[in-house]
Amino acid sequence: MLAQATVNGLLLGGLYGLATVGFSMVWGVMGVINLAHTSFIMLGAYITYVLFERFGVDPLASMPLAMAAMFVLGYGIQRLILNRIIRTSLLLSLVVTFGIELVLTDATVMTFTSDVRSVNASYASASVSVFGVLIPVVRLLAAGLSLALGIGFFVFLRYASLGQAILATALDREMSNLMGINPQTVFALTAGAGAALAGAAGSLASMLFPVSPTMGVSFLAAVFVITVLGGIGSVEGCIVAGFLYGLVQAWAAHFLGTSYQEIVAFAMFLGVLVVRPQGLFGRAFFGEHA
Amino acid sequence: MSEAAVIAGDRARMPSARPLVWVAVAVGLVVLAAAPAAVNAYWLRILTTVLMYVIVTQGLNVIVGIAGYHAFGNGVFFGIGAYACGAAMASGLSFPVGVALAVVTSAACAFVLGWPILRLKGHYFAIATVALNLAAVQIVIQIGGITGGAQGLALPLSDWEPRPLYIALYYAMLAGAVVSTAVVAILLRLPLGFALRAIRDSERAAAVMGINTTKAKVYAWAISAALTGFAGAVWAYWITFIEPSSAFDPAVGVKAYIMLIIGGMGSILGPVIGAFVLEIVSTLVWSGFLHAHQLILGLLIIVVCLVAPQGIIDAFTRLFRSIGKRDGAA
Repeated sequence: MLAQATVNGLLLGGLYGLATVGFSMVWGVMGVINLAHTSFIMLGAYITYVLFERFGVDPLASMPLAMAAMFVLGYGIQRLILNRIIRTSLLLSLVVTFGIELVLTDATVMTFTSDVRSVNASYASASVSVFGVLIPVVRLLAAGLSLALGIGFFVFLRYASLGQAILATALDREMSNLMGINPQTVFALTAGAGAALAGAAGSLASMLFPVSPTMGVSFLAAVFVITVLGGIGSVEGCIVAGFLYGLVQAWAAHFLGTSYQEIVAFAMFLGVLVVRPQGLFGRAFFGEHA
Repeated sequence: MSEAAVIAGDRARMPSARPLVWVAVAVGLVVLAAAPAAVNAYWLRILTTVLMYVIVTQGLNVIVGIAGYHAFGNGVFFGIGAYACGAAMASGLSFPVGVALAVVTSAACAFVLGWPILRLKGHYFAIATVALNLAAVQIVIQIGGITGGAQGLALPLSDWEPRPLYIALYYAMLAGAVVSTAVVAILLRLPLGFALRAIRDSERAAAVMGINTTKAKVYAWAISAALTGFAGAVWAYWITFIEPSSAFDPAVGVKAYIMLIIGGMGSILGPVIGAFVLEIVSTLVWSGFLHAHQLILGLLIIVVCLVAPQGIIDAFTRLFRSIGKRDGAA
């Protein structure tokens, strides 16, 4: 039982990590706490649902489409709204993104009603048994793809010149500007990439969880805890913290009962904030001293 | 525009504006005091909600507007106040005692939690308060017992007739709104208020000037929590049934935050105006567009933040000033 709980927790943790990477990057690079992030997850899930239900597209095949759509949305929102806001007050972004979240969620309710939907791929109920532990294929796929995307983004930031521009802006906005990097463009690209990763997470989540307009909000607590645990703006921190979070959640449910899951999560969160606010892997990103 | 020009402009205009503000405040108070006799139950409910938000927003103004600490999850004290009052009344105490207990409990919680949490800066403090707010829901569910846990808590019903009771509760909220506004006005003149504004502008400089910054911040948060807890306590008796998800609804804190932005942070009357504008507009939107009211509210928030990030008072002042200038030039 413990082994089963551990495996389940770790697999779910992979998905949570991916759901958080974009949020953490946006916060790290421009100091924006994007409360609309979870609605990108929700919209990603709905895109997958629609393509699956209407056109029979496999959820894994629709993931790139969800990512592309969310990139455009994230890029547009940053260009049209947030870039104007962050020039004035950073904390104003909290309120604006709350407004954006309201709009996106309500638009989804109006389009799809608040009925709960589900995406049942042909392999939804398949599972493999390893040493007596049952591993559902969908969860394994979700965790594997999450890890792959997370590592991919990490490599992109380190080795692509565009990624290095994002990192440079995160570390020192003024200096990177002097080096000829346009911060407004970098912000929009970061927001787009963050939204795309959230869309991918939503796409994968649609196979595991019921799809509904409020499904994004259920990720909010996890996203906050993992961001702080991993260190703001740290992709590798996010991925490791995601697995850690999944593990702690699963163990809390196993040893204390499911009702204690969230208390343990918040205790962990407050503990990290007070003892080590920069997180496990945090460095002096821009968001740190904003 | 340079700082000096703004101050000079204000001085030139202030003498004529100040009596007008006092007249407006007096008229507003008289209208609000007379309102229960003139309005139906529906509008009495809305006005009571507005006044409740005036209290919560003034509470937020103390910690966010004056001290510059963005307590995004300040709604936690609303819930603590509601539950303190609810638990006290469920165990046989009277409503005034319940309210007093709620105020003391909320302030005490802020006092104790403030020492570790107020050491966090900027965003970290903001999300720590959000975490507190979310954790409180779970803690109340786990405590069970006198709080009723996840099943919620029913407060004893009053033996008053509904109409007089609702009017009494309206006056309780009105009194709270007046007191909380007065608290902000007085605080701004006290040494503590100067210390808090110094902290807002530069915490390190304030510390260098000999201000015990942690102590000042903890006091500010305790005042903020006491006001918010009062609103929660009256609200609990008003709706008579509270549950963790409604008492600790993060939307309470978030809404107050938006009202504070609409009205203008750190001002005395801004939160009052913000609460009236947002609550009345959202009520009208809600009754006019039942299905899209969240969408419209969201758009409204975005537009206000884009057009008037310093609040609507500031936006109007700027607008009038620019019109005045154009006239002067022509």
